[in-house]
Amino acid sequence: MAGKTLRRTLVASVILLSIFLPAASQLHAAEPAALAKEGSGELDLSAAKALFDSHSACFVDARSEYAYYSSHIKGALSLSDSRFDEQFPEFRQKKSTETLIVVYCVGPGCSKARHVAEKLKKNGYRNVRVFSGGLTEWSHAGFPMEG
Amino acid sequence: MPRIGFQSALITALRLLLGALFIMSGGEKLLDLKFFALVIAEYQILPSLLIPAVALIVSLCELVCGTMLLFDLFSRISASVMLCMMAIFIAAMTNNAMRGLEHDCGCFEFLSQWYGLKEEIGIGPIVRDILFFILLLPVALLGSNRIPWKKQQPGGL
Repeated sequence: MAGKTLRRTLVASVILLSIFLPAASQLHAAEPAALAKEGSGELDLSAAKALFDSHSACFVDARSEYAYYSSHIKGALSLSDSRFDEQFPEFRQKKSTETLIVVYCVGPGCSKARHVAEKLKKNGYRNVRVFSGGLTEWSHAGFPMEG
Repeated sequence: MPRIGFQSALITALRLLLGALFIMSGGEKLLDLKFFALVIAEYQILPSLLIPAVALIVSLCELVCGTMLLFDLFSRISASVMLCMMAIFIAAMTNNAMRGLEHDCGCFEFLSQWYGLKEEIGIGPIVRDILFFILLLPVALLGSNRIPWKKQQPGGL
């Protein structure tokens, strides 16, 4: 009797594991994409870093060009809020509207990233996210910078 | 004459102070001309094509006029050129402050690095440039235009 119960429990466990394990591993593999697609919410530091590491997104610096020139997230492009119209034609040639774009500025109190994200959406870029922590959080975490 | 001595000492002091200041300011701009050009672009006053040339001219003007003030070569002309530049800087900063634009003023970067003074356009940099304008006035009005190595003719002016 006890042996039957044990066997049933084992079989049930194997079935359950075989169902849930592959699904869990797929979730893990698709983490950056999932993070980027979640709702319309802004990205936090870990989500931004995951996208950076996966090379699946283009980082855009919404601060002034001279601030970008001094320092920026490694590999980021400059598309400043103040001179968006002048810089956008060159940006459009480099990045298609399908590209996943992560916009940032100085930090949470800075509205430039949200402005640039809105402008990009108006110009047909559908996959735009804002990294609200900005350069302050990124540099404090010791993540790659250049400039 | 004590009065003449004081006036001469005052102008010399102003000349040396402002000369050194403009040499440092022009020098640092020339060392990183691209940064200064990007700051000028942020003013959104000049066409993009003119910006690199303006950045070079402003930096050179500051460096040359500063050197001339320091060594008392054509001090009145140098101070007058700097007065004109200060008037343009004040007008440009006031214009952008009124438009609500927030960016670096591109004035004296070394002051912000050494003393932590804020270099974003606003009332602080505008008042500072007005002060420099006032300090330049006595040199422009009462300074000399003589060439030190040229001997003055006896009885000449």
